[in-house]
Amino acid sequence: MGWIDRRYQVTPLFEFLRHKEVPIGSHWMGWYYLGGVTMFFFVVQIITGVLLLMYYQPGEATSYESIRILTTKVPFGWLIRSIHSWSAHLMIVSLLLHMFSTMMLKAYRPPREITWVSGYLLFLLTLGFGFSGYLLPWNKLAYFATTVGTNIVKSVPLLGDWLLQVMRGGQDVSINTLYRFFAGHVVILPLAFVGVIGLHLLLIQRQGMAPPVGTTTAPRGMKFFPSFALRDLLLWLACLMLLITFAVFLPYGPGIPGMDWELGDKADPFAPAYPGIKPEWYFLWEYQLLKEFPPHLFGLEGPQICLFVIAILLGIWAIIPWLDRRAYRNLNSPAFTDFGWAAILFLTYLTLMGWDIGAKSGSDDPTSLQKSAHVCALWTLAAGAVVIIVRGWRFKHRWFILTGAALLQVAVHGLLGLPYLVAGVISAGAAFVIITAMFLLGRASRSSAG
Amino acid sequence: MEEPSPSDSRTSRRHFLDIILGASLLGWITSVAYPIVRYLKPLPQTGPTGPTHLTRDESGKLEQNKFVIVPVSGQRVIVLQSQDQLYAFGAKCTHEGCTITYLPGQSVMWCPCHDGRFDMNGRVLSGPPPQPLTKYIAKKQPDGTIVISEQHA
Repeated sequence: MGWIDRRYQVTPLFEFLRHKEVPIGSHWMGWYYLGGVTMFFFVVQIITGVLLLMYYQPGEATSYESIRILTTKVPFGWLIRSIHSWSAHLMIVSLLLHMFSTMMLKAYRPPREITWVSGYLLFLLTLGFGFSGYLLPWNKLAYFATTVGTNIVKSVPLLGDWLLQVMRGGQDVSINTLYRFFAGHVVILPLAFVGVIGLHLLLIQRQGMAPPVGTTTAPRGMKFFPSFALRDLLLWLACLMLLITFAVFLPYGPGIPGMDWELGDKADPFAPAYPGIKPEWYFLWEYQLLKEFPPHLFGLEGPQICLFVIAILLGIWAIIPWLDRRAYRNLNSPAFTDFGWAAILFLTYLTLMGWDIGAKSGSDDPTSLQKSAHVCALWTLAAGAVVIIVRGWRFKHRWFILTGAALLQVAVHGLLGLPYLVAGVISAGAAFVIITAMFLLGRASRSSAG
Repeated sequence: MEEPSPSDSRTSRRHFLDIILGASLLGWITSVAYPIVRYLKPLPQTGPTGPTHLTRDESGKLEQNKFVIVPVSGQRVIVLQSQDQLYAFGAKCTHEGCTITYLPGQSVMWCPCHDGRFDMNGRVLSGPPPQPLTKYIAKKQPDGTIVISEQHA
């Protein structure tokens, strides 16, 4: 120890870790563990991914066949693949919980803006992992889902066609696409991910967990070593047990569309598409949003406008730390808490519709879609009502304009049957009018008081 | 009989818990490691076993080069012709496992990796190989095809 310390001065580091504390404050401690859980699932992905690489052979004749042999012949091959798939889905679940919890607790406020942005990048990289890994077994469903998914980049202005060809390795999805996705999935994305997660962790270790809003140092703390670290470890063990239970008893997923990985038939570029081609559940909202856009709008193509809207939404999400001026000054910012909930309800409604909840599966006729929207709207409104009641009653929240706008859109589209975009414009307009009126009234009362 | 003191019983309780905890940790590690160890063990090679007939192509190569290397039950076997006599040996050098070749001019088998030489009985003539080559039986059938089979002691 002395030998290393004389050369690399590690004692200050140990001292730092010994004194490091996790704030115990006004909110539930559990939110602090979600980043660690996400990282745990990522480590599982690395281990099982490397194991899968030992049998997987990318290639027109071998991709599908090697996965088939892996799951039928190789001892425990089915288990390794099942763990990899389950862990992928659970990683996305815990990542979303982590992201929304840090968002609503305003952990992104100074001095942690870069931590938010790095976490945001990890979110995008994780979606990239999900998208690229999906194609690798080279089965029918993955082939068509990837065709649709990659086609979206065509709508990028100017660069669209070039991007599409770079992604696909040609005009259409072919085995060349698989080679590119393979390189991305096992080399490019992991390297990028490890780099960004290194930064993310460094910042968190350096600055500690964010204390509750309104405080700069928490009133009380829990020792990081050993108290918090041991709790982390125990939780990871519980996660592993959950993961293995799922993987063993449901080796091909829970059987929900968008969350199953039965190998099915081999991809055939010359076979026609068939109904029920959907992306994984975490892309369903985007899939549904694309369907809600008309073919042409304002002289542009529907998908172009849709991509623009998605880019704006994702862009706003990235720069929240700079938009939230009240949190910037370490004050409560109820509008941004409400924004987080509005985002969740917005995504919920689209996802439910993408799932065809309340519709006959595979049926695309307008009355069935209208009925589905109706059922999805009822569920989303019920969820929204629960959210508002709990927030108002338990957490004494009083700011519900954006949640209200999101629910108004759901009601106008699902219950009244107006087009989704029209409903969106109506509710965005309503929210805008109310917020502007509040702002003007607030200024007027301040100036009259002053 | 002596009553155990309270501190004794506490230590033994702690000891008992330590044993339980240690055993479950061991069990846990085993249950995680076993599937991985099994997974990493390669699948058994599949393919034809038993006596092997040389294909027309392989016989042609033998005619031309005086030797040919063919698979027999998943092993590399060198078949060679020396003074109208057929020989067959395991082609894996007993030194570091390189594939040997035949030098017709000198009637020796030679491993180019570390200059090992074997005679027509598979015995080491010179160089570092520690063992003779494995012998196989090469027979010409009445119809002219060549059959290679393992030598059973």
